[in-house]
Amino acid sequence: MEQSTTAEFTSPQQYKTDRRSPARWVISHGLRQWWVLITALVGALGNAGLMAVASVQIGVAFNVVSAPIFDPQALLRVFFIILAAGLGRGVLQFARNFGFEYCAQRIERNVRRELYASLLSKSMTFHNLQPVGDTMARATNDVREVNFLFSPGLNMVVGSLSFLIFPLIAAPRYHISLMLVPGVFIALYFIVLRIYMRGLAPITEEVRESFGGLNIRLAESLDGIETVKGSAQESGEIGLFDTNVTRYKKAIIAQGRKEAKFLPLLLYAVALAGGLLHALLLFRQGLVDLGGVVGYFGLLLMLDFPTFASLWAYSRISLGLAGAKRILELMNRENNLDQNLAGHARPLRGEVVFSDVCFRYGEGDPVLENVSFKVEPGQTVAIVGQTGSGKTSLARLINRTYDVSGGQLLVDGVDVRDWNLENLRRNISIIEQDIFLFSRSIADNIAFGNPEATREQVEAAAKAAQAHEFILSFADGYDTVIGERGVTLSGGQRQRLALARAFLTDPRILILDDSTSAIDSATEDHIQRAIYAAARGRTTFIITHRLSQIRWADLILVIRGGRLVASGSHEDLLRESDAYRRIFNE
Amino acid sequence: MGFFSSLDAEKYDRTYKDSDLARRIAGYFKPQWRRLVLISILTLLVAGAGALLPVIVSRGVDLLQGIPALLSTLLVAGAVLLIGLAIWFFNWGLRRLTSTAIAEVVAKLSSDAYTASVEHDLSFYDEFSSGKIVSRITSDTRDFGELVTLITDVASMFIESLILAVVLLAIQWRLSLYVFALVPIVFVLGLAYRTIARRVTRQGMRAMANVNSTIKETVSGIAVAKNFRQEGSIYQEFTNANETSYHVNVKRGLALSVVFPTLNALAMLATAVMVLAGGHSVIDGVVTVGAWYLFILSLDRFLFPIMNLTSFWTSIQNGLSASERVFALIDTPTAVVQSAAEKVPVLKGDIVFENVSFHYKQGEEVLRDFSLHIRPGENLAVVGHTGAGKSSVAKLIARFYEFQQGRILIDGRDIRSFDLADYRRRLGVVSQVPFLFSGTVAENIRYARRDAAEDEILELARRIGGGEWLETLPQGLDSQVGERGSRLSMGQRQLVALMRVLVQKPAIFILDEATASIDPFTEWQIQQALDLILQQSTSILIAHRLSTVRSADRIIVMENGRIIEEGDHRGLLAGGGHYATLYNTYFRHQSLEYVEQARAFAAGGAGEE
Repeated sequence: MEQSTTAEFTSPQQYKTDRRSPARWVISHGLRQWWVLITALVGALGNAGLMAVASVQIGVAFNVVSAPIFDPQALLRVFFIILAAGLGRGVLQFARNFGFEYCAQRIERNVRRELYASLLSKSMTFHNLQPVGDTMARATNDVREVNFLFSPGLNMVVGSLSFLIFPLIAAPRYHISLMLVPGVFIALYFIVLRIYMRGLAPITEEVRESFGGLNIRLAESLDGIETVKGSAQESGEIGLFDTNVTRYKKAIIAQGRKEAKFLPLLLYAVALAGGLLHALLLFRQGLVDLGGVVGYFGLLLMLDFPTFASLWAYSRISLGLAGAKRILELMNRENNLDQNLAGHARPLRGEVVFSDVCFRYGEGDPVLENVSFKVEPGQTVAIVGQTGSGKTSLARLINRTYDVSGGQLLVDGVDVRDWNLENLRRNISIIEQDIFLFSRSIADNIAFGNPEATREQVEAAAKAAQAHEFILSFADGYDTVIGERGVTLSGGQRQRLALARAFLTDPRILILDDSTSAIDSATEDHIQRAIYAAARGRTTFIITHRLSQIRWADLILVIRGGRLVASGSHEDLLRESDAYRRIFNE
Repeated sequence: MGFFSSLDAEKYDRTYKDSDLARRIAGYFKPQWRRLVLISILTLLVAGAGALLPVIVSRGVDLLQGIPALLSTLLVAGAVLLIGLAIWFFNWGLRRLTSTAIAEVVAKLSSDAYTASVEHDLSFYDEFSSGKIVSRITSDTRDFGELVTLITDVASMFIESLILAVVLLAIQWRLSLYVFALVPIVFVLGLAYRTIARRVTRQGMRAMANVNSTIKETVSGIAVAKNFRQEGSIYQEFTNANETSYHVNVKRGLALSVVFPTLNALAMLATAVMVLAGGHSVIDGVVTVGAWYLFILSLDRFLFPIMNLTSFWTSIQNGLSASERVFALIDTPTAVVQSAAEKVPVLKGDIVFENVSFHYKQGEEVLRDFSLHIRPGENLAVVGHTGAGKSSVAKLIARFYEFQQGRILIDGRDIRSFDLADYRRRLGVVSQVPFLFSGTVAENIRYARRDAAEDEILELARRIGGGEWLETLPQGLDSQVGERGSRLSMGQRQLVALMRVLVQKPAIFILDEATASIDPFTEWQIQQALDLILQQSTSILIAHRLSTVRSADRIIVMENGRIIEEGDHRGLLAGGGHYATLYNTYFRHQSLEYVEQARAFAAGGAGEE
């Protein structure tokens, strides 16, 4: 469990779970629902038991009818017992089905809540490194897989296992040796099922893979149809598609052939014949009566449920465990930055010094090497370079999303690692490339970091961020809910809302990853004004492609391949850097 | 068939006459006829053996009236074993043959569908999303193939019940009626189940869609919430969605959990009745003990086929309308039609539009009586507001769309007389969002000219900014670009797309310039690559960058499908006409003057409003 701190969120934890392995973890969730599971288990056993009772009673009926003196009362009794067993089965089978279903839904809810709380308690570093799409997949699909593990997975496994057990339990009432066939069936059943499933696994994998390949290229070639046609490559693409389809077809045929050899069915057929022979031989010896043969055969017929159902039931369990593993992996991932609660905690001025900073992810290649520069409080710094040159990593070192691997990074003369993390981050705002807005009203989005802000403050922030005008162009103005009734915002508009948000929280250091492109000059004017206003009065780092911003920055950092190849004012760089001069030459 | 095809129908969908559809389907199955004959035979055998099993067992029960001979005991058990083995064996053959037949038919159908899709012109892709076309090619063809499994499964069960029904009737008609009385009851129950299931599932899905989107949003929003220390509020939002999801799912689970227990209880009820009624029949001497047992055993074998029958017709309809959707895709005629298929020699690149009219949609004319002459080797920039018809001009030259009036002449020859593939080999097209295919950078560069030598590519690459862009790629030319080029930055993708054209050396180059923001260093490299192409080809540039319009020999300004101004950058700007207005709207902020004054401007504006 994560240590609770004031810096990161701690949720009202529902209950402790065992996170040492996926199976233990799933079990520890399952045990919380013990009373539901017991109900379901009783349902499963009762359902199978009553089925066995009915089979036995049919046998009894045969004895009643073939007895020398017919007793109609006895037959009527059998009728009522079977009737009652039928109703009882209905109720108990419902208890089994709904019990597992209810349990699965509760566990899905609890698992998701646990995952979410765990995510909230993770550091910013974690969330910056962790792709949102991946987290989403775990919070939706993998959580759902854990649900399916219980229902229908465990439901079918427990249900079919109880159908496997009862013939064995009920057989000795006729003759002890009649346990032979059900017993052997159970033993062979698991072996045969395992052989069958092992043989099928690689083939299913090939089906999945070949379909994936087929589908990806198919979608690509249709999305890029203009390129295909423009390059006159239609026949090449058709040829490629045919190759992919043929591979997929072969995989499907192989799968069909494997599935055709469904061994458990063969075992079932042999068990029926063997059991019947056994019962008949006992009958000849007078050890079993007519009702015994009929009843026993009925018991053997119960084996068809495990024969067919468990095939996919077991794979649901293994899929569920795989999902659990992925969820656990995410929750168990270590948080490597210490909160440093005892560190410096005071207002920031915004001076930033990099001295010989090196940085790499884990053991990877260096992302930044020997970067040194100094920024005075209130200055605006433009970071320029190609994609992948290390611009973003450089900016992320400042709020300790990552820690430097070498050298030092000082804020107000204090190494960032010596600051209280909460204090440091409170004073640094980051505006990302992809700006996330909640499906709430525009006003709520702007006031997100400062929920107490009045409407006047929100509007003032929006005005400073050049967003007021477009907000009023919506029918509901500030109360417009984003994403509702087709309200979508352009990248530039989102960026301006994020800037408005930053005005309300008023950080000392602002880091802006700007990759919006203005289609027209009027929009560009708005962006320029908004960013300029945001930069005023605080230290601002802008990762930018805009020559105009580069031009008016106090300090320009040119990064290439992780190195600071040039830095200084516009005039300095025009003098010193060829590459820089080139981009300012029209 | 018209009724069911309304399921997410597209405009090109058509309703086929049943006879046409049948003929069409038969065409695909014809090559499989041997397999189909065997499949039919095996289906009958499986059904027959399935029906025989309870009959044999009940014969065995009849033997138990006295002490049976050892031989007949062995015979009965042997017969049961034999039937069991036979069922498994027939099933094995049946499944093997079916899966092969289906796979072959589906492969052929999807291949035909894909070939047809690729032949369609771009107007087709404008109208219909490629995602939906993909699903027709993959999942609709598969649904169609499922028809075979569906039919053999149901046929086999149905025949089995039928044989049993006959046997039962032959033994005793009154007891048979008890069995048959179940049929309508189960049928109605099955229908009710389907209605309930469909309703709860639909409701559940709708509710889940909302919940899912909230959950997705709260997960995406975690980073932002943490940034502003709003974890508490977002946790609350998440919990609400999570609880709603839970309640919806429990409700759905409850409805669906009722069904099978009800059915099984009903089956036991029927068994109880049969035990009672049959027992009395045996006492009355109407049937033998074995026959009684047969009646009891047969109950189950009637129940489940009937349950399945309730969904059978809908499934068949689904399969058939899936086939209709695929055929509609195959049969849609392409709008671009060539009048001849003449070979195209090396072109000079002389392009003439003669009174061309063009529309995407009837009544919404994009180009009207449009005439333009582009001289060989000329670099023409086309500018104008969105919807002015700029890209239409380019797309008509690429022959992506069909125009309605006038002529387009390439080197003096009618564009419609060319062999289309041959003609397009002389064109280089870079679309607004440059598209790369998964694979290496080199493969993408070679896309239009497979035989381009590595040395040649490297030599060209070096002419762009000294080849520095290649060094920034992890494995140079062998770097994987990822799906749709996702591992490369936008700028790198543009460079690769331009390299593709450089290697291809087309006579005519068409560029729909990207609007994405690219860092100034890469931008400079792109400009260099562009300059190289402009030297070698006649170019049509739909320009969004100031440097591009500047490097053009001639600029045409378009509005409402007409040319309203033309000239070079300097002259037009000085003229103060339409181009000057456009310049102020779209290009002003890209100029060095703007860059130089940005600070003063931004500072001045910041206080206003």
